[in-house]
This record gives sequence, C-alpha cells and structure tokens, in this order.
Amino acid sequence: MPKPADLLQGTLDLLVLKALLLGPLHGWAISKRLRALSSDVLNVGQGSLYPALYHLEDDGWISAEWGTSLEGRRARIYTLTPLGRKQLAAERSAWRPFSAAVDQVLQAN
Amino acid sequence: MPNFSARIMRRFRALFRADVVDADLSDEIRLHVDLEADELVRTEGLATAEARRRALAAFGGVGRYREEHRDARGVRWIEQRLQDLRYALRGLRNRPAFTFAVVVTLALGIGANAAMFSIVDRLLFRAPPMMRHPALTHRVVMSTYDRGEEDQATYIPYARFLDLTRDTHSFSRTALFTEVELAVGPASDAREMQVGVVTPGFFSFFKARPVIGRYFTDAENAPPRGSPVAVLSYGFWESHFGAGHNVVGEQLQIGATIFTVIGVAPHDFVGLWSDSPPVVYIPAAVRGGERATGLPASESWWTTYHWTWAQMIAERKPGVTMAQANADLSQAFVRSYQQELVGSPHQQPLAIAKPHAWAASILSNRGPNESSLAKVATWIGGVTLIVWLIACANVANLLLARALQRRREIAVRLALGVTRSRLAAQLITESMLLALLGGVSGVAIAQWGGAILRTRFLSKTTTATVMTDPRTLIYAGLAALVAGLLTGLAPLLQTRRMDLNRDLKSGAREGSYQRSGIRAALLIVQGTLSVVLLAGAGLFVRSLRHVKAVPLGYEPQHVLIVETNMRGTRIDSARSKALVDQLYRGVAGVPGVISASRQLTMPFESMWSLGLTVAGIDSVDKLGRFDLDAVSPTYFTTMGTRILKGRGITKDDGAGAPPAMVVSQAMATKLWPHAEPIGQCVRVGEDTVPCTYVVGVAENIKDQDLGSDDAGLFYYLSAEQFHPDQGGLFVRVHGDPDQMKEPIRRALQKYLPGSAYVTVTPIRDIIGEQTQPWQLGASMFVIFGALALVLAAIGLYSVISFNVGQRLHELAVRVALGATGRDIARHVMTGGLQLAAIGVVCGVALVLASGHWVEPLLFAESPRDPTILGLVAAVLLAVAALASFIPARRAAQVDPMRALRGE
Repeated sequence: MPKPADLLQGTLDLLVLKALLLGPLHGWAISKRLRALSSDVLNVGQGSLYPALYHLEDDGWISAEWGTSLEGRRARIYTLTPLGRKQLAAERSAWRPFSAAVDQVLQAN
Repeated sequence: MPNFSARIMRRFRALFRADVVDADLSDEIRLHVDLEADELVRTEGLATAEARRRALAAFGGVGRYREEHRDARGVRWIEQRLQDLRYALRGLRNRPAFTFAVVVTLALGIGANAAMFSIVDRLLFRAPPMMRHPALTHRVVMSTYDRGEEDQATYIPYARFLDLTRDTHSFSRTALFTEVELAVGPASDAREMQVGVVTPGFFSFFKARPVIGRYFTDAENAPPRGSPVAVLSYGFWESHFGAGHNVVGEQLQIGATIFTVIGVAPHDFVGLWSDSPPVVYIPAAVRGGERATGLPASESWWTTYHWTWAQMIAERKPGVTMAQANADLSQAFVRSYQQELVGSPHQQPLAIAKPHAWAASILSNRGPNESSLAKVATWIGGVTLIVWLIACANVANLLLARALQRRREIAVRLALGVTRSRLAAQLITESMLLALLGGVSGVAIAQWGGAILRTRFLSKTTTATVMTDPRTLIYAGLAALVAGLLTGLAPLLQTRRMDLNRDLKSGAREGSYQRSGIRAALLIVQGTLSVVLLAGAGLFVRSLRHVKAVPLGYEPQHVLIVETNMRGTRIDSARSKALVDQLYRGVAGVPGVISASRQLTMPFESMWSLGLTVAGIDSVDKLGRFDLDAVSPTYFTTMGTRILKGRGITKDDGAGAPPAMVVSQAMATKLWPHAEPIGQCVRVGEDTVPCTYVVGVAENIKDQDLGSDDAGLFYYLSAEQFHPDQGGLFVRVHGDPDQMKEPIRRALQKYLPGSAYVTVTPIRDIIGEQTQPWQLGASMFVIFGALALVLAAIGLYSVISFNVGQRLHELAVRVALGATGRDIARHVMTGGLQLAAIGVVCGVALVLASGHWVEPLLFAESPRDPTILGLVAAVLLAVAALASFIPARRAAQVDPMRALRGE
C-alpha cells in the first residue's frame, strides 16, 4: 500500500485550522472533513493529526474541551481561537506564493 | 508568546499527571478508531472486526502514535531522565560497597570544602550584613613612610577623620568606628563585652532601622564629652532586658560611665564586626571624652593627631571612580598631614613621609594589615580544594573501573540500539546521583565537623551554621555538581573508545585488560597532590616547632599576669599606690606562689614607649621604638630573664634614689655600640628631666611580634620610681598556672574597691594566641594531608586490585608458563610503585616551584626543605607499596587452572 503523502508539518497545521474555520470538531471529524474537502485525496490524520492538534493547542491557535460528539460520545472538541483565525489568514496568504513556487520547480525542465 | 503561563501549566500537567493525560489520549484514540470503524462498516459494508482492524492499521499503530504524541508533549526528555535515574538507583543499590566508598569519598571532599568555604567566605568575601552599598563602601587606609619603610595604617586620630570628612568630595557619607572591650552591666554581674564605638553616621551605612527608639544624633556626639547614650544590640536587649518594650530610658553602666538606652538595633545588625558583634553601641565622643585624661592640657582629643584609636569608613558617591576617590583622599590626607606638622614639628617632613591614602575593601581581612588567621584560612581553603580534587580523581577512578566491569552490559545495550548519547546520559546520571548523595552527606559533615573549624577561625559568638547558610549551600551544591560532571566524564571517554564487537565477544574476561591512560593519570594526579599537602603539613609542623622554640628571653610556662580593671572607681594616686602595694604583698601569701613582680606592660598585649634623649645621639627616636616596663626587684627571677652585665633593679632603687634602668642587650648595642653601657645617662620622656642611669644589661626579650627577627629594644625602670601607682603583677607559681588562676584572683579581689575587679591570665595563653596561626596551619595541614593520603591510598589500592582482577587470566597464563608467585607479586607491585614514583616526582617539582608563595606563611623554615620533601616521598612510596602489596599477594596466589578455566 503506498504511503499517503506525508504532509509538510506546516501544511497539516494550515489544513486543520481551515477545517476548524467552519466550526468546532473532534479529532476524527477533522480528518473526515479534510478527506471530504479534498475529495478523498488527503487522507490526513491517522497518527500525525493528534500531535498536530496538541501543538496547535499549545500555540494557542485552537482550544479544546471535553464535550459530546454528534454521535453522542464523549469527545474532545477543538475550536478555532481568534489567534488561530489570524494565523490561518497569515498562512493562507503565504501559501499561494509557496505552492506556486513548488509548481514552478516541479514543472521546470 | 501567547498563553505562556497556560502553556507551562500544561507541560507540568503533562509531566506530573501523565496518567491522566494518557487516559485522555486513550479516550480520544478509542473514539477515533471506533468512529473510523463505524464509517468503514457503513460505507464499505465490512464486518465489524475487519473494519476495526483496518481502522487501527490506518491509524498507524496506536502504541507508536502514543509515543510520538508524548514527544510532542515535550515531556519525553524528562521521562527519560527519570528512567535513567531509576536505572542508576538500581545500579547503586545493587553495589552497596561501591556506592558507599564513592559517597564517603565525595562527602569528605565536599564536606571539607563547604566547611572551609563558610569560614573563608565570612573572612574574605561576604559583605557585612545589611550594608546599604557594599560595593561602594570602603575602609580608608593611610600610608606614610618612616625610616624608608611604608607604614599602612587604618587606625587614625579623630582629628584626621574630621579633616578627611571635610576635605573630600567623593563620598556621600563617612563614619569613624572602633570596637573596645569594656565591662558592661551593673557591678554584680559586669562582664567584659564588645562595645561598638561609632560616630552617628555609622548607622546610615546600613539598611537597619532601629526596632525600638533611635540611633545617636550629631548633638549627642559633640565634643568634648558627647552624651552618654547607648543603642543596644538585639541579642543584648533580649538577654539583659528581657526584650522589654519600655527599654528606652533604662540605665546601663559601660566602663566607668552610666549610659541611657535610646534604642535597639535590629536583629541581624552586627555593624562591621561579623565575627565579634558588639553588645551595645556608644557615641565616639563619649569614649573620646573618657579617654582624654592622659592628654596634655594644650590638646583635646578631637584635635590631637597623637591618639590613633579608630578606623574610618566612607561610601563613594555613585559615579565616582576608585581612582578619583583615592586621589581625593590622598589630597585631603596631605592637607591634614600639613596641619599635623604645625603642632608637632618633630614629625617626618612631607617629602619623606609622602602621605597618601586610599579606599580599601570594607572587609578588613582583604588587607592591608589583614590577620594572619585570614591568610592561613585562605591557604587551608586551597588545601580543601586539593582534597576535593583528590576525591574527584578517586571517584572517577572507581567509576572507570566500574564502567570497565560493565563493558559487556554496555556493549549489549549499544548493540540493542541504545544511542550513545542516551548511554552517556545514563552514566552522567549515575555520577550526578553519587555526587548528590556525596554532597548531602558532605553538608552534614561540614555542619558537624565544621563547627570545630569555625570556633578556631571565627569568634565563638558567631552562630554560623552551614545548613542554614544559602551561600555555603550553593557552594557545596556547585562542588557536588562539578564533581558529578568531572567524575562522569572519565567513563564517558572510555565508552567512546569502545569496540562493540570485541566487547560483545569477550565480555569482562580474557584479553580485555588494557592499560588505561586516564586511570594512570588520575593516580599520578592524586599522588602529586598528596605530596603537596603532606609537604605543606611538614612545613607547618616544623614552623610551629620553630615558633615554640623562639627564645623569648623569659620562661612563660609558670607565670601569670594580674591586671586590675577599675571600672571608673576613681581613687586618688596615694590610695592607688597603696592598692598596688597591697596586691604585690598580698599575692606573696597565696600558697603556690613563688615570687611576684610589679609590671606596667604585658607581653604581646600592651606597650609603653617614651621619647629618649641620650648624649651624643642626634635623634634616638630615629633608631627605632624603645619600649619600657616598670618592675620590682624580683622581676628578673620571676620572669626568668637573665642579667648579662651589671645588676637588675634592686630595693635600693626606691622613690628617693637616683633613677635606674636595665636595658636589653639589643638596646645597649643600638645606643652604645662601641661604649660601655653601664653608667650611661638616658633622659626618659622630656629632654629636661634628670638622668636615668643604666645599671645593668639583660638578655633580649620577644614581647611584640613573634614572627619578626628583630630583638626588642627594651628597658626596665624601677616600679618605685616610675608610676608607682599604676600597673599589675607578674606571678611565678609552682605547677599548673591554670590551677592557680582562681586562688590568686580570690586572694586579690578583696583588696579592690567599688566595682573594680581583677583578672588573672597565664602568659602561655597570651603566647598561645600568638602562635595560633601556625598551630592552626599545622593541625589543618596534617588533618587534610592525612585525609589526602588515605584517599590516595584507597585509590591506588582499588585500581590495582581491580587491575589484578581483570588480569587474572593473563597472570594465570604467566604462572602456567613458569612465573613464580614472587614474580607475579613483583610485577604487580612494580606497576603501583611506578605510578606512585611519578606522582612523587611531580609533587616534589610542584612544591619546589611554588616555594615562594608559601614562604611568608612559614616561620624560619625553607619551603624547599630537603628533609621534609624526602620524608614525604618516603611516606607516599611506603603507603603505595602497602596499597599495592595486598592485591599483589592475591595475584601471587592465583591458581592457574581455576583462572584459565574460569568463565
């Protein structure tokens, strides 16, 4: 089985923040939303999601609370903080030139 | 950084509540896997078990993930350290003998250091407690030249203090201070205690508000007599006034004067006298007024330059450099000196005296004129540092040996993928743990053992303890920390050279023996340092013997000194003379007393010198200082001083007879190098008084500085002719003078009027104080030298026996090939003795090279004394031979069959 593309650390952060922009979610739901948003291309999570969540929380960009999930189970619900919102905006504007540059490199012959 | 404190809190929670965090995490993962599995069942129609397996696989291994998550939590590092700690603890518990040896060695090294540090720190480094600006506060030192020699003085006249305060601009405050011993308290329980004599400004140098009342004002310190007001120390307030709150206004007799209490200093206030805190503080002017009685009518105590009695402190203004302050002080001193010259034209002229002044450290032991005790203490501090180094070398060696033994274990761990850095961390953890244990035990040793040291170096009133002193604890902690790092380093270097393959194959057995350069070097260092310490011990012991053998010119063993303290009980001259006569006659009746003599001055304690005029000599004063004593006819037999020529003082030298004097041989040679001294005329005091005729020459005596080579210029007058109403007694007794103190005191006390009292002191106590630095140096060097020797011997022994253990196989092969037990023993012993010999050579070289540093501390002893060095070398080699003999014998008894079959 080919390994799903390992996401650059910063990229995963960006994606998680984006996923949470639409509303608070627990861990699995974040991975599911990312899968849905990327049309099943990005199979995030499995293992690298939670460390990312931890350090995002540590950086104060998201906050977490124990609550009840849609499925009715005890779950840790993550919410985007105002600081995270700002961070997302900043990373987003940095992302475009970055991805364009990567494209350019890859297409160079 | 956002939420910094929240983040710290989370880290803490992660570390200490790891179970809770892990449980949280488990819940989260479980939820994730469950939901993922449900999803798979729903979307792909898998069976529950298969869905679950797939979900778990996709997650990527729950266990691994959890580890990663912990890494992200940033606690892994600490957890690993805790693991290492447990590992080290287990290792140490399994080898109690090894652990014990290392901890004791370190404890001795660290303990000796901490104990000495607590002393040296107080003598040399610690600012006086509560001082406002210790870095800006200085003692003022004044320097003049007299007969080509520089004289550095810190004690100055009051007039000088006034001049310097007025004429300098670099200082925000100045004060005068001194400490005197005075009888404090009402007659019934008066005791001699330390009294701080200070100007009002003294208190403003400290951040010390009085707990009750106030300090003195300038008005209370105004000449001529000031106001008799006193500020109590906190301790004295508690012990003598029951810490009563209405103490202000109470009366307290100090010396001859009744003082009124005006305040109480705070608890930790000791002024500048950390080692002998005053019980009470009085204004300088009161002391000046009391003591001014001896001055000529033309002078008053605050204008005379002839009475030097106190020291000056000054606080530099912020921004004023030392150079500026010193220039300012010198300038003011020159002006003051010119002023002094106006009143006393005999003084050395400005061009010769070259007066200059500077701001020195506030700590008197930082010099100039530091006590020889402080010098010795500094040296012994250095000695304990060497003991510490030896202890470290020993421990490093033991750890190395242990690391060698564990080679196989270490190799296995490396092979199993333990990283070298992790291994290093474990080794360091182990040595740090040992150092910690050693440090804790060392502090305990310093606490209990150091009490003895402190009473020797610091006054007994100091309540310094190691355990409650943060500075000493920090020092001990640093000593332990550095010891842990240093000793952990050695085995680390060893593991770096490890050959995994070979070690795995051979383990701690055949062929694995190799000479270890590090261990040999450590042993040599130990040997070298031991030689240095033992040589130091030898030099000090010899110095002490020389000091004790100094010809004093009198026999102090059985002589006591009787002094009276009138405590202001004023009696006229006639009654005073009657009292002295009564004491002189009375003491003769005490059983055990052989003879007694009147005296005016005591050796090493007081002196009396007057200007002398001798026909044919321009200025007798320029030849040196001539000290006098006024004595009875029985003086020379009482003291055991021999008359070399002429006669001593006799009964004929009474009040009406022509004044007579006996001069010391040194004085005779100085004044009349080519003439007969007997019959010469000396005018004592003014040059107009009648002649005092020299009637005899006595042998030289040492009565001021034991260490100086100069024989005292000394002369004796008749007590009947010179101040017959003053002075005390010398008393020669049978047997132990300590036993005679009390009978004599009781017999004489009854003659004393009012609250006056009598003190009786054996001369040997006074001389004992003089020899104390050498005594102390000798005993400390011997103790620490012996300690070093024992440590070095243990080190050598353990390394050689360890080597023998490692080489059993090789030795057995040698035996099998025909070597006898003797050959084996010789072989092993040679190895040990070689190391010791190199150590001796290095040590002797070091001693020879550092000789001139040690010289000033010694007494008539060359720091390169060949006898001592030879003896030390012999001792060290003998100890080394013994330490290697025991393992050598064991090696000689090796049974080749067993050793070859072994393992």
